[in-house]
Formats: sequence, C-alpha cells, structure tokens
Amino acid sequence: MRPEARGASRPLRIAPARAVLVSLALAPAVVTALATGGALLVTARPLQAADLTPQQQVESGLLCYCGCAGLTVRTCTCGTADSVRREIAERLGSGETPQQVIEAFIARHGEQMRPAPPKSGFNLVGWVTPFALLLLAGGSLVALVRHWQTRGLLPVAVGATGRGPAAPDAPLTDKERDILKRVERELKERV
Amino acid sequence: MADFGTLCLFIALATSGWAVIASFNGWRARSGELILSAERAVYATWGLVFLVVVSLEYCLFTDQLDLEYVASYSNRALPMPYKFSALWAGQAGSILFWLFILLTYATIVVLLNRRRNRPLMPLVVTTLSVVSTFFLVLVNFMARPFLRLAFTPVDGNGMNPQLQNPFMAIHPPCLYTGYVGLTVPFAFAMAALATGQLGETWFRTTRRFTILSWFVLGTGILLGGWWAYVELGWGGYWAWDPVENASLIPWLTATAFLHSVMIEERKKMLRVWNLSLVIMSFLLSILGTFITRSGVISSVHSFTKSEIGPVFAGFLGFSVLVSVGLLLYRLPDLKSDNRLDSFVSRESTFLFNNLLLVGAAFAVLWGTLFPILSEAVRGVKITVGAPFFNQVAVPIALGLVTLAGICPVIAWRRASPRKLLEKIQISFWALIGTAAALLVAGVRDLYAIVAFSLAVFVITTTALEFYWGTRARQKVTGQSAGGAFLSLVDRNKRRYGGFVVHLGFMLIVIGVTGSMAFKQEATATLQRGESFSLGRFTMRFEEVENRDTPNYEFLGARLAILDGGRQVGTLEPGQNFYKAGQDPSTEVDIRSTLREDLYLILTGFDPQAGVYTFKAYLNPLINWIWIGGAVLILGSWFAMLPDLRDRKREAEARLREMELHAA
Repeated sequence: MRPEARGASRPLRIAPARAVLVSLALAPAVVTALATGGALLVTARPLQAADLTPQQQVESGLLCYCGCAGLTVRTCTCGTADSVRREIAERLGSGETPQQVIEAFIARHGEQMRPAPPKSGFNLVGWVTPFALLLLAGGSLVALVRHWQTRGLLPVAVGATGRGPAAPDAPLTDKERDILKRVERELKERV
Repeated sequence: MADFGTLCLFIALATSGWAVIASFNGWRARSGELILSAERAVYATWGLVFLVVVSLEYCLFTDQLDLEYVASYSNRALPMPYKFSALWAGQAGSILFWLFILLTYATIVVLLNRRRNRPLMPLVVTTLSVVSTFFLVLVNFMARPFLRLAFTPVDGNGMNPQLQNPFMAIHPPCLYTGYVGLTVPFAFAMAALATGQLGETWFRTTRRFTILSWFVLGTGILLGGWWAYVELGWGGYWAWDPVENASLIPWLTATAFLHSVMIEERKKMLRVWNLSLVIMSFLLSILGTFITRSGVISSVHSFTKSEIGPVFAGFLGFSVLVSVGLLLYRLPDLKSDNRLDSFVSRESTFLFNNLLLVGAAFAVLWGTLFPILSEAVRGVKITVGAPFFNQVAVPIALGLVTLAGICPVIAWRRASPRKLLEKIQISFWALIGTAAALLVAGVRDLYAIVAFSLAVFVITTTALEFYWGTRARQKVTGQSAGGAFLSLVDRNKRRYGGFVVHLGFMLIVIGVTGSMAFKQEATATLQRGESFSLGRFTMRFEEVENRDTPNYEFLGARLAILDGGRQVGTLEPGQNFYKAGQDPSTEVDIRSTLREDLYLILTGFDPQAGVYTFKAYLNPLINWIWIGGAVLILGSWFAMLPDLRDRKREAEARLREMELHAA
C-alpha cells in the first residue's frame, strides 16, 4: 500500500522487526530461486532436433504439399505425406544426410515446402521485425511511464489520493487491516 | 422461395441504405423524424434478412438442387443438422449469416438505447448500417446465395466431410458472433468521435458488448481447436493457419482493450489508446473476414476462395480512412492529463500487459502477411508456419502469464515493493517448489518448467486473493466463510469474474505446455492379433470394423488398449468414405483422461492383405485446455452479470455528462 500517501501519522507501516522477518523469509527463497534457476540453465534444454531420428528430422522439416495447410510431412495423414515419407526413408537409406534430403525436396517443390523461412537474407526481416518492434515499443513505454511518473509527483496527484475507509478496531492484525483496506477500496473503486 | 429470398435481399439493401442516409441526415438536421425512421429501417432490415435466412434454409432442407449454393454444399443424404449448418458452409451463405448476426446486434442496440444515449444513437445507427449495407451489396451482387444453375443436378456435391462435425457446426457461429460483436463498440466509438461526446458513456455502454464478443470469439477459437483436434486427425489443435491467426488477432487486441479500459475508468488516461484499440479490433475483424473469404493467403479454408477480395480491400481501406481521420480530427479534444504515481503500480502492469498483447497481435499479423510481402519483394512464395509463431508467441505468452500473477496483487497508484514482495511470498515459494519438483522428477524442457511454474504462481496468487478477501469480509461482517465468499464475489463480479478468467487461462497454459513439450508418437503397420506400444500403453489390433450408413461407409479397426498388461478399453479408428464422392475423412478415436489422451489414427490399410497402418499420439494434459476453456467461459459470464453498483455508476456518469452539456 502507499504509506507515503497517508501522511505523517503512519510514516512506516512495517515495524523493523517485521521487516527483518520478511527479509529472513525471503532470503532463502531468493537463494533457492537462484539455485533452481542455475540448475535449470545447466541441465534443461528445449526439445531439439537431436531428440528426433533422422527420418523424423526430415519429416518435421518439410511441409506437406497436399493442401492440408500448415501440417508437416510428419503430422499429415494424407496419401501424399505417405509417399513423401517413403521417399525420405529410401533417400536416408541410400546414405544421404537429413539436410541433403530436405534440400532435394525444396529444390523440387520450392521454398514453400519449408515450415518457416530460413533465418537469412530478406527472410531475416520477417524473423527480426516483431522482436525489434516489441523492444522498441517496450523501451518507449518505459520512457513514457517515467515521464508520466515525474508528472505524477506534482502536488496535484498527491492531493487526489483520497481517504481510505476508517480502519476497523482492535482484533485485526496489521496485515489483515491492509488487505481489508485494499479489498474495500477496490470494491469501491471498481477494479 | 428462392425468388422470395432474392427479393427480400434487394429490399433489405434499400432499407439498410435508407438507414444510413436517414440517420446521418437526421443527426445533421436534428430531425427526430428522420432518426426514428432510420431506427425503424434497422428493424425492417433485420426482419427482411431473417426472411432471407429462412428462405435459404428452406431451400437447403427441401434439396432445391437447381440453386448453385444448395448443389455445392449439400446433398440429399446429408443429415438434417448439417443441412441447417450448410447455411455457413460456403461463401455466400456465411456472408449472409454474418450479415444476419450484425443486424441482430444492431436491432438489440437500437432497442436497448431507445431512451438512452440519444445524442450518440443516430451515428451509431449510421455506422452499423454502413457496415450492413456493405455486406448487403456483397450478397446482392457478388456472393449470391440464390444463384440458379442452368440445369438441375441429380444430387448435390455434399458438405466437405471435415465440416460434418458438431463442433464445426457451432464454431463458425461463435466466431462470427464474436467478430461481428466488435462492430458495436466500434460504432459507439465512431459516434463518440464524430459528436465529440468523448466522456465515459461510449465505453460504459459498450463494455458488456465488448466482453460478450470477446468471450464468444474466444469460445469460437477454442471450439475450432477442439474441432481440429478430433476431426483433422493430426493429433494437434492449432496449426497457425492464416485463418486461425485471423481470429486470434482481433481477440488479442480486444483483450488489451478490456484491460486498458480500466485505467481510463479510474484515471481518465489513455483515451486515444482505448479508442485506437476498439478501432483496431474492428478493422482486424474485417481483415480476418477478408483473409478467410478472399483466399488471399491459401489455407485449409481455401474452399471459400472467390473474387470478392478487392471489394473487401476497398471497404477495409474506407474504414481505415474514416476511423483514423476522425481520431486525428478529435485528437486535440482527447488530450488527457496522463500521470502515474509510480512504476510499481497496477496501472503500469496494465500498460505492459497491453504492450505484450498488442505486440503479440502484431507478430501474428506480421507472420500471416509476410508471405505476401516476400512474394512481392523476392518473387518467391514462402510459408511462415508453426516454428516462426511458436518462437515469437511463447516468450510473449510467458510474459503475459507473469503479469497475470503480479497484476492482481499490486496496488493502484503506488505499491510499495516491500509489500508486494510480502504479498507474493507464498506464490513465489509455490513457483520455486514447482520448478524444483519438476527438475527432481526429471523434466528437462526449459520452457515447460518455466511455464508450469509460472502457471502455479498465478494460480496461487489468484486463489490467495479469493482467500484473503473472504477472510477480510468475514472479520467485518461476521458471516460464515461461505457467506463471506459469496458476498465478496457478488459485490464485485467483474473483478472476481476476471480472476476466474485468469485461472482458466492458466489451465490452458498447463494443457498447451503439457501437450507440446511431452507429446509422444508411434507408427506401426499391423496384421490382426499384432500389437505396438507407446508410453505405458500397448495397442493390440483385434478386429476389422466396417459399418454402412446412408451418408457414408465407415472402414476401420478395433484395437484393445492395454495399460501395463491390463485391458483398459478399446479404440476404433477408421475412415469415412462418403457416398457423395468426396475424399475419405480420417475418423480418429481417443481415450481421454485428465492425465493424457491416447489418440489413435488409422492412416492407411490394405483389406486384401489384411495390413493396417496406425499412428498413435500420447498428448499429456491436453484435456486441461478444454477444461480451462470452460472455466474461462464461466468467469466471463460471471463478469458480465449485471451489477447494481455498475448501474449506479453509469447513471452518475450520465448525469455528469448531462451537467457538462448544460454548462
């Protein structure tokens, strides 16, 4: 909650003892988080081509051209996919590498048979644009929020923070009072 | 009946055109007579188009095969429910159906606002009628449902067998209701911009329409996924097909609007942004229809290709010009005093939520349209498919999930970081615990671990919000836990409905992650008595199963499913051979549990040799997607329920605006 806004009567809402407790509780959480994160980075890996058999690699690298839009040879159930799968098996059997088999099919049926364009040349524009724009927009948003925040620090905004409902009496703990206040305020202000 | 339908369509074009002229001139001349006449013209148009729909249904049910539409999308043996749904199986019919939904919305809007929002209504009617007139031009002159053939065929082509599925019968109406619903907030936004009455009325009035169309569109998307899963026979539910993308994009911008409008309600900020989101959602829904109906990008739905593309593009361009022009014209009036108290506040999490949602919408749109750009620049046709979209969408989705976990507990205006940490402490532990447990259990997929842990984080945060809220109310009112809970959620349906929607979204995240990261597959060619296995299941080919129905012949196989040596059931995958002569359709069979789906496909067979080829998928947790969808629907309904508090607020807002005008 925003203790600052409630003026001098309650300058600090968390007693020092509580602050220590909170930090004590959070410290192991942070340590565990870092440890788990570290373990994750060391051991985890996204599912990669290495998990697939050469046959599956080729099948997932080619789209079926039967008209079942968007399905790879691996997933498509039509007759065309069947014959492509057979040809892949033959080519792999005769010693071609998965990459060679894929290229052979692309040469015959065109770039359209790739599930996604390769990350090179003009196609890079396709891959990079969404991320670049997202980063750019994100950066601008951060700058904008900072700008609005400096405006928000002007006295007008502080005056507008309003009064919370009167705090209920004794049996509530500090934490409960905070929660109650927030819930009540949000009920009032329509979140 | 066909001639009657044609006639009604023609008169409807006239009444709809009249509604445009009368309401616009009525607004300019302040003529109550003209305005009233325009509103009556809306009712009349609805009635006429209703008669057209009835006529087309009649022609379908009575097999009037001399009509091109009936002969193309139906046949004598087609079961009754599918004769009904043939209305939206083809282009002309679906545009007609779209038009009918639009007019239904328009009629409801006019009825509900007979005595309210009078200053806005004439231009709302104008906007809605311009859109309906456009669609009426299409069905009158370009995509004509009652076009006659020069001869009468013996039987029709029948419906595409893949569309003969109950989900496919509901999926398009849902999508259309969602798409078209976005026209209502757009119409109010246009009216607000044109009249300069840019207060709260326009979005308060349309909020419920927006939630309704948002959730119906979402339901439509989910049903489409379900349909693809049970019908298309490739073991998945989402292929990033251009038509699927086209439905997702406006849904994403509408989601952004539903969040950012809360900032406008509270702080009167982001007015231009919210108007832009409403305009964007409408334009994207028209673009979606354009992509679906014009065949501009070839896709699985290409059976609806036609020549209406340029007309659609023209209408889209016109809408962009008018709406953006109006927005720019009103820009000086829309200046709001944007200020934020703190970076750590709910306002700013909403802003970043909007960034991600609109970013996702852009990325999906970009990927969908990039093949056209590539062809124009390089002259090479390429495909942008799942690998691209997954790479872009997964990080954005994870970002959104994280925000959904923090947003509900962060305070408006200014949150103290310490309090925030205190509040997410338990959820944070839940997150770490989940990640650690998954690691110990041997899960090594980075995305899966992150996604599952974040989902647990959000679920814990949300559940605690319910718990703390209930506890706090219990202390105040002295009610029982149940009573306190009910009064809590009842007092703020929108907030808690929204939380339930978040919970549904998390279940979907869990289902999608499980079925993407841990999917297994196996293929085998078997003779009777032989078996193959996948995961802990063994499938034994027991018997050939053939059945004959009036519509199709089913050729399939029965397999016993063994789980660790014990038989747990049988599955009967097969293929339907339709008598109307289309390609056979794959009929998968699924053993569905909360833990996983065993998905069995008969991919090919040689009855003479007795050799059958099967493909099996093990899709873990996939059912949570559909369960999450149901939760999402429940939450949306709850959020839409009328709220006394809301009515009061609306009345107050209207009073304020009236005072403003008086002054």
